[in-house]
Amino acid sequence: MTRKYAFFPGCVLDAAAREARDATQAVAARLGIELVEIPGWTCCGASHVQDIDRETALAANARNLALAERMGLDVLTACSTCALMLRTARAELKNGRKSAVNEALAEAGLEYRGTADVTHLLWVLADTAAEWAPKVRKPLSGVRVAPFYGCHTVRPPEIMTHESHLNPRSMETVIAACGAQPVTIPERLKCCGFHAVFPAESTAHNMTASAADSARKEGADCLLTPCPLCHMQLDMYQPDARATTGKGGDTPVLHLAQLVGLAVGVERERLGLSRHIVSPAPLLSKC
Amino acid sequence: MRTITFAIDRFDGSRSWTQSFAFDHVPGMTVLACLIRIRETQDPSLNFTASCRSAICGACAVRVNGNAVLACDTMLDDLLEEWGQDTLRIAPLGNFTVISDLVVNWDEKIERLRLARPGLHARAEFSASGGCRQSPRDFQAIQKQWDCILCGACASECNKLADSRADFLEPFTFTHASRYARDSRSADSMLHVNGMLDNGLWKCVHCMECATKCPKHIQPVEDIASMRGMATAGGRTDGPGPRHAQAFRTDLENTGRLNEVKLVPRTEGLLSAATRRLPFTLRMFARGKLGVGEAIHLFFADNRPVEGIDGLRKIIRQRRRDH
Ligand code: SF4
Ligand code: SF4
Ligand code: FES
Repeated sequence: MTRKYAFFPGCVLDAAAREARDATQAVAARLGIELVEIPGWTCCGASHVQDIDRETALAANARNLALAERMGLDVLTACSTCALMLRTARAELKNGRKSAVNEALAEAGLEYRGTADVTHLLWVLADTAAEWAPKVRKPLSGVRVAPFYGCHTVRPPEIMTHESHLNPRSMETVIAACGAQPVTIPERLKCCGFHAVFPAESTAHNMTASAADSARKEGADCLLTPCPLCHMQLDMYQPDARATTGKGGDTPVLHLAQLVGLAVGVERERLGLSRHIVSPAPLLSKC
Repeated sequence: MRTITFAIDRFDGSRSWTQSFAFDHVPGMTVLACLIRIRETQDPSLNFTASCRSAICGACAVRVNGNAVLACDTMLDDLLEEWGQDTLRIAPLGNFTVISDLVVNWDEKIERLRLARPGLHARAEFSASGGCRQSPRDFQAIQKQWDCILCGACASECNKLADSRADFLEPFTFTHASRYARDSRSADSMLHVNGMLDNGLWKCVHCMECATKCPKHIQPVEDIASMRGMATAGGRTDGPGPRHAQAFRTDLENTGRLNEVKLVPRTEGLLSAATRRLPFTLRMFARGKLGVGEAIHLFFADNRPVEGIDGLRKIIRQRRRDH
């Protein structure tokens, strides 16, 4: 069955995590998920704009949602923070802000109605695992994968309602469907530190080093994240985290779509695996 | 008969151990009722605090499988279903010093709470004789924050606090500061915000644990956000936190999308970007995360504005006018 979504890439998939966009689109095509990019989408605010200018952030996200509604599709994003910001905006609009914000949207010929749901690539892949698992061409048997959910994938539960925030299983479901083996680390549901990497740099480094170190100690071949912001933090800053803490440094971090792409036989060049700071070469030799 | 086991973290002031207590499953019990039953029937030395049994006094918060709950307001059966197992690990709140078993030390937390300057410092027009009235609408703006029962659940899994207590505060302290700062009767909002600014207001990592764990559905992370907004609006815009947020807003307004090349110099200054961050930038070039030509273009020019940028700007302008 073909599924069709209004695709919200978010700023990072358009820049430093371009490989996640390539992998997402390649995997979606392979699995019969049609992604139509929302024309004119803007930054979700990433929680930063929300801090200093809540109204601007809410209006921008109402516009993003209204653009998707015009396409008659639900929204899919492959970024947990984008998902949280868009879903939070949806909740605020539902709880009394809709008419005021619609007055602003009207100036651009738009209207927010509240018809489009916002989902995450992870949720779609987990919910449809039984459907696509038979398409796995190269089961990743013997590959040990430590899922790192990322805070905004599951919290707060009032907004991120897809599964239990205490005991989520979606990542394990996808890993198992790829034929790989999930490895549990204590940081599985913890923060990567990305949102405070500038004002609380040492905290962010400690968090990054600790996740990378645990994955290594548990014998994982890589960390796996459904969020490109977690990926940036865990991969791009891992050398800095190692320099300040002496821990981590050589744990590859894969985007969710890259792992699925490897399993369903997407050509490796299309998965952007050479764009990582920590080389995934040892892991790839096992796939 | 189904048997439930509580593996409880014990501490007697010097020695720590985990002790398992098994008991028959009886439907409809709270976690607190289970603890009381263990104390009454198995081990009178088991130490925990509780008083109201009605989610009001805030005394009974403990961790179940690593996650804070109010023991009197949490049904055992819900936990068994959530975790899919009949053994639960019970521990004292995280990020607190333990006094004995499940009892934690609040003294040091209350001392830190003073940094919020809790208490109403009313505007001059109010007096003891004339009163200090507030419209229902203004009270509504801070009503949620007044539901805080100081149970400590929001602090237990705070990821920033777990990394360091020296440069951050318990989430409830931010909530208390915010409820006075945003009180329409307050003479000086910044009286409450300043202490927060000096103690980690911009260091919250946005892990959302506080908003997830509060049994009263308070969101300390939102109180942090609102005080960040107040501080910025009041001119306290220096530092990497406010500058980082401002950079996102500037990009949203200018082109609709983030310019990640300008983000670091805007946040930390050009000098830091060119020196301290140089190894990072070179790594990005080397691994193809960022193209050199692309970086030069983004630095001197910008992203192309998104389709419909005029509409976006009109929308933002309208919201500003309306506010
Ligand atoms: S969101 Fe901020 S204050 Fe709340 S628990 Fe996480 S780090 Fe602590
Ligand atoms: S904010 Fe909520 S969780 Fe935190 S102390 Fe108050 S009532 Fe408890
Ligand atoms: S006993 Fe008072 S809140 Fe639980």
